[in-house]
Amino acid sequence: MASYDEEIPDSEKVKLASGFILNAPPGEFNEVFNDVRVLLNNDTLLKEGASKAFSKYNQDQFTPVKVPGGSHKTLITKHGEVDATTYFDPRSAQNFAFDHLRKEASDPAPGNVDQGAESYRSVIDKAIQGYVEDHYPSGVSAVYGSGGTVTVCIEDHKFNPNNFWNGRWRSEWTLTTGSGDLKGVLKAQVHFYEDGNVQLISQKEVKESISAGSPEQAAKNVVSVIEKAENEYQTAISENYSTMSDTTFKALRRQLPITRAKLDWNKILHFKVGAEMSKK
Amino acid sequence: PETAENMSEQQLDAALDLMRRLPPQQIKENLEGLIDLVPSLCEELLSSVDQPLKVAKDPSNGKEYLLCDYNRDGDSYRSPWSNKYDPALPDGALPSAKLRETEVMANDAFDTYREMYFEGGVSSVYLWDLDDGFAGVVLIKKMGDGSKKMKGCWDSIHVVEVQDRGRNAHYKLTSTVMLWMQTNKPQSGNMNLGGSMCRQAEQDFPVSDATPHIANIGHMVEDMELKMRSALQDIYFGKTKDIVNDLRSVASLGEARKQRELQRGIAAALKGRNAS
Repeated sequence: MASYDEEIPDSEKVKLASGFILNAPPGEFNEVFNDVRVLLNNDTLLKEGASKAFSKYNQDQFTPVKVPGGSHKTLITKHGEVDATTYFDPRSAQNFAFDHLRKEASDPAPGNVDQGAESYRSVIDKAIQGYVEDHYPSGVSAVYGSGGTVTVCIEDHKFNPNNFWNGRWRSEWTLTTGSGDLKGVLKAQVHFYEDGNVQLISQKEVKESISAGSPEQAAKNVVSVIEKAENEYQTAISENYSTMSDTTFKALRRQLPITRAKLDWNKILHFKVGAEMSKK
Repeated sequence: PETAENMSEQQLDAALDLMRRLPPQQIKENLEGLIDLVPSLCEELLSSVDQPLKVAKDPSNGKEYLLCDYNRDGDSYRSPWSNKYDPALPDGALPSAKLRETEVMANDAFDTYREMYFEGGVSSVYLWDLDDGFAGVVLIKKMGDGSKKMKGCWDSIHVVEVQDRGRNAHYKLTSTVMLWMQTNKPQSGNMNLGGSMCRQAEQDFPVSDATPHIANIGHMVEDMELKMRSALQDIYFGKTKDIVNDLRSVASLGEARKQRELQRGIAAALKGRNAS
């Protein structure tokens, strides 16, 4: 840790700034960015050294964005990255420019489709859309095909800064069409910050297996497994909440002493004073 | 023009805002990073950012006590039981003799408080003189026993300022409670629910032999923890859980929609039948 007089080099400062930005809770990128900007106090350094953090943040968060010229949304993820400012929407097979600070998409252009994976990808995409509509109030999905892999990304969020809370759910499922291996990473994060800072950070890894067969069969099985696994995760989180509240929290601090009444402070003080005097 | 003082104040505000947003699970790392980024804010940040309490053992009697910025002098910490610094500090800051008497009684009283409410854990009270009164911090730390595969921890940090006003005294209380819960189970993966809540209170109490300062402070802290315990329960196990269940629905949303439409249809049909 630096002492009062020592200053760490700029390269270290920008690493710290980037780290803070990457840890911004869902929906609070702008506030964290502004805080970091004031603390770093060097806009050129921030722009040059931390811009990678802006794109990584959006990718990590599965930031949803309306596809330019279309009526549906896609997600900003590492699977759709063409270059630092260009992303691919697998549903419309389009590339688009993306401004990581404004979180806006523009300039649609035809993108590259991996034809080998497309038959599985497109059928799974349709099936996942139905699944997302059935379980996520405002969910967005993006399904990518590359080689023998189909990757499903699902995101939903609720931002309520007026009431000091934000939350986001992210799922990422990777299917190997050859073997039928299906791996999932499920994440839930909630931030509540009225007169405090309370966060739920939760993550689960899942390993399943399906019989891939035809694209239609694969899609059906993938949705079935994902639905079961995500329901199990969400139900387990709810059960944990009950245990935490009914058992763990109670064991940390009683609501009232065993006497069922608040303390008699005078009694406590006189007892202690009495004990002190009897020692002399 | 941006004066150095303005900038410093802006930076402190930015640092504190950042600490309210970054995951509290990494308070220590975040605080260290902030101090590295803006070393001139070091003292301010260490005294205004609450951190999970650390426990130490008083080498002179083996009793446990809690560490915070208020019993720190350099790299040494003062034990409330022996009033000695560890590592030893010949010129370490100490409360006045009279205040130390009050501090001893406060530690004993809150030791009882801690046992009655927390049935375990560690508590420490540190007092320091002010021009027109005194101030103090009441610290409590209780760690769960890990049963049901759940790790839990409670940290209380109550800072009180006491201003003498003749027969009365004016008490200002700023309380922070940190609550940490973590579990790692096959069905739910890694679940980490943690952070803190802050509240303030101000009250006047008469001061006499029958109602000494410690009793008044005790009442305030007890009432405050009563309120905060309830609020923590609502926010941690109510609000954050509701938000998760707002992000995704286990039950089919399509089924729920069908049910609602069915009900609406029945209600409309009944209305029509009643009207005719």
